[in-house]
Amino acid sequence: MTGLIGKRVPKLDAPKKTTGETRYLQDIELPGMLHGKILRSDRVHARIVRIDTDEAKALPGVHAVITAKDTPGVPLGHGKDNTPLKGDKVRCIRDEIAAVAAESEEIAEEALRLIRVEYEDLPAIFSPADALKEGAPVIHGKHPDNIPFRFDYAHGDVDAGKEESDIVIEDTFTLHFVTHCCMGVSGVIADFDSSGNLTLHSLTQIPFLFKKDISPVIGVPPGKIRVIQPVIGGGFGSKLDIYPFEPICVFLARAAKRPVRIVFTREEEFVASPTRQPVELTLASGVKKDGTLTFRDVRTLHDNGGYTSWGATTPFVIMQTISSLYRVPHCRYHTTVVYTNNPYSGSFRGYGNLQATFAVESHMDRLAEAVGMDPLAFRLHNAQEPGETTLQGMNFDTCGLRECLETASAKSGFLEKRRAYRSKQAGPVRRGIGIASLLHVGGGAKIYRTDGCGTILKLDDFGHATVMTGSTDIGQGSETVIAQFVAEELGIPISAINVVNNDSEITPWDVGVHASRTTFIAGNSALRAAKKAKDKLLAAAAKKADLSADGLDLRDGHVVDAATGKPIVELGKLIRSLHFTQRSDIVMTTEYYEPPSVMQDREFKGNVSASYAFGTQVVELEVDTETGIVRILKVTAAHDVGRVINQLGIEGQVEGGVVMGIGYATTEHLVVEEGVVKNPSFRDYKLVTAPETPEIDSTFIETIDPEGPAGAKGIGEAPAICISAAIVNAIHNATGVRFTELPLTPERVLRRLKEERE
Amino acid sequence: MERKIERYCVPGTVEEAVEAIAGKDATLFAGGTDLMVQTRSGKRPFTPLLVNISRIAGLGGISTDGDRVRLGALATISGIRTSALLKEKAGVLTEAADSFAGDQVRNKATVGGNICNASPAGDMIVPLLLLDAEVELASTAGRRMLPLCNFFTGPGKTRRERNELLTAIYFPIPPVGFAAGFRKFGTRPAMDISIVSVGVAATRDDAGWKNVRAAFGAVAPTPIRGTRTEAAIEKGGTAGEIARIAESEVSPISDVRASAWYRKELIRTLTERLHHDVFET
Repeated sequence: MTGLIGKRVPKLDAPKKTTGETRYLQDIELPGMLHGKILRSDRVHARIVRIDTDEAKALPGVHAVITAKDTPGVPLGHGKDNTPLKGDKVRCIRDEIAAVAAESEEIAEEALRLIRVEYEDLPAIFSPADALKEGAPVIHGKHPDNIPFRFDYAHGDVDAGKEESDIVIEDTFTLHFVTHCCMGVSGVIADFDSSGNLTLHSLTQIPFLFKKDISPVIGVPPGKIRVIQPVIGGGFGSKLDIYPFEPICVFLARAAKRPVRIVFTREEEFVASPTRQPVELTLASGVKKDGTLTFRDVRTLHDNGGYTSWGATTPFVIMQTISSLYRVPHCRYHTTVVYTNNPYSGSFRGYGNLQATFAVESHMDRLAEAVGMDPLAFRLHNAQEPGETTLQGMNFDTCGLRECLETASAKSGFLEKRRAYRSKQAGPVRRGIGIASLLHVGGGAKIYRTDGCGTILKLDDFGHATVMTGSTDIGQGSETVIAQFVAEELGIPISAINVVNNDSEITPWDVGVHASRTTFIAGNSALRAAKKAKDKLLAAAAKKADLSADGLDLRDGHVVDAATGKPIVELGKLIRSLHFTQRSDIVMTTEYYEPPSVMQDREFKGNVSASYAFGTQVVELEVDTETGIVRILKVTAAHDVGRVINQLGIEGQVEGGVVMGIGYATTEHLVVEEGVVKNPSFRDYKLVTAPETPEIDSTFIETIDPEGPAGAKGIGEAPAICISAAIVNAIHNATGVRFTELPLTPERVLRRLKEERE
Repeated sequence: MERKIERYCVPGTVEEAVEAIAGKDATLFAGGTDLMVQTRSGKRPFTPLLVNISRIAGLGGISTDGDRVRLGALATISGIRTSALLKEKAGVLTEAADSFAGDQVRNKATVGGNICNASPAGDMIVPLLLLDAEVELASTAGRRMLPLCNFFTGPGKTRRERNELLTAIYFPIPPVGFAAGFRKFGTRPAMDISIVSVGVAATRDDAGWKNVRAAFGAVAPTPIRGTRTEAAIEKGGTAGEIARIAESEVSPISDVRASAWYRKELIRTLTERLHHDVFET
């Protein structure tokens, strides 16, 4: 053991990123490469009458101009309701009409300006409620009711639950459009060789599913597609599907017979990359006088936008929080996903859980107040214990919810401050403190028949290890964590490890980066591959030294006597002695780790994850009741992470998630008016910046998950999930006013406070 | 776009610069922090002649000139923020510069550029209005002075003629007893376009506050003086009364950043607070 687990290990990619050495997609120049640009619709719902590309084609420096009629028109994306280029009609503002490959970006842009498109506008729909009205315009002929999906879930008997309740409350929560704002914008390079093999330099989070998904759209067999991922400047779920620009780039490369790169502008990134799904969620909750929850009854309406990407499936996650965050004896959940002519949404860190937890944890405070309990005691009364199985079938083998609640409250002085802030405060600026908790998958999510990840581990004849993993690093730090696991197991320094995670020709299969699964699934896979290598090395050393392998271990680059630590043979020497013999051998192992989770049944029940993550966050803030501005002063977070693997990395995950969650709650808003994005820039789309970032005090509750690698759970999404509820609970503490709509912009807050005062 | 630039010119003196732009529709480049963003977005295309004025000798600097302070057009926002002279004589400019964008932009952006960009939300304009600033414009015909309060004609529009170069800003050294304050409102302390901004200033003598100035940003097509607010302060009205007058003399629009209603609310609240901070304490 080198004692790496739980230490503060700097990210392996950090030196290159901070010195500017990292090469992103934008830095890759292939010989003969052209630049692709896409002409997008400026209409939200219209029939395409005519597209004239003659002038664009004639522009010097233009090598290809394509429209829908030049392509097979095979639909793509999760819902298979979107073609790469639109030939008949457009359904939202970003829709792709034509594309150009030219010798420079400027020429490509100039060519776009020369393309004439004639439209015939159609009546459009901008709200899910309007989409459901009698006689509403139909957006996709296949769905005359504008409803591509419905989801229903139930356990217990909600009517009985209502009977049992002493108090029932109901609210409608309205959640808005936000988008990922990856610092690295979307892009791809498509490069065919003369045999028809296609290399895609892609920023995808799902390299293997990507091959399968894009293959029929572009008419290239998956076996002839190689996906190489340059360093990815942020994903957060946005790169979990394929989008029209990717096959368009392939079509351009095919037409131009040259490699083609498409890189979005920042404005394009705001308009044409996915969003978090806007949701209107009506929640009825009940409670007995003694503070026991009785039921939750939920109806949600999801704005799917013009097409179906992963946003449509966020109900899978929403229902988990509705059914299982605290003990809920009776539960009913219904979602209607509705087409509109708004931008369409994809997956985004938390995957519906930010929306669900905002509602559930707002109600937890209201219910506590209704029965006269403090919010902490009320939550503790309903929190699950380790070993419980929820009524949706999730096995909480480990469950640190109670400890999270107790730790975050104790460290923040929650109860005392809450009492103090409730009494009348002088002056326009009021303080408040609020609490909220979360439940999220922490051991992958079996949404496909396999939720596995492959590893190939190769030790060279100097004792250096190459770890080829199917999992992708999108900036979250998985490369470092995987290296830690392998270094720890093989007793070699982390500098002796190279992680290869970006080439589908080399790395073995993996589902992709989603569901906070990488440390858990890819970590387990790497750890087990390393264990196999260790077993092989110890057996070989034992044979040579005529000792029992049980008494040996790997430490500091040597095979050692486990009891005394006395070196027996240097690792490189041992491996070389295996190579250079008559019956020679190399040390290379493989592993495919499959977590012991199950796919949900038709009723959405089953233990979908091998582990579950919990957390509690307490927010202390100030509300200026004359300007409406909310200043977050301090966040006290306690997260059940199973076990800390990289202290530095996990602090970063929590801090990044908290800041993202604060942005969701207070400043971030993709303003969409009549289908048009009104603020496609960082000037007017307001991310939280350093000066507004509060002090963040993170505590990690180590429940040592028996299935997790070294006891760890996934933590990628969890930190962003519950803070918006903690913020509205704190604002209620400060002002007595409860907000059910986000974001809490100063204007919205002031307007409500004034309404309440009048 | 960029390709349409036919001639690029880097004058070394004001004389060369005004010669270069005479009779032409030139694009003037100083710090570029507004210009580059606007040309890239297509909001303001380059004209065929691009004149880089950033190397003109003597066009920068912050100094006293008799009983006036002179800000060279190329004085950067960082220069203003760290100027000991301004901190002592006109701290309201230091305050405004401190809430202006971030360091990278402050290091490049010039006060002349901020004025000529003529944004209704221009952060240096409101405090300069409080200081009775005048701008100096040069052309081949010579130099002329214009009061800053008459300089703006609309969003992005000024009384600067096409053949003129803004060379300096002058304002009288504030007398003993001068007090001023500036507030901009956004969700961030800086790095934000003002939803509104407010400034007040006056000079105290035995009888009370004299020479009162009030100015508002982002609530009209140009940054404006609030003359009725000034009169009310001079008469010694209560902060609440003054704030209501301020609210009544602005005419903001609703846009993606805020509604007109909210801007008026903020003008009232910020004016009341500023009145308290500057005149009552």
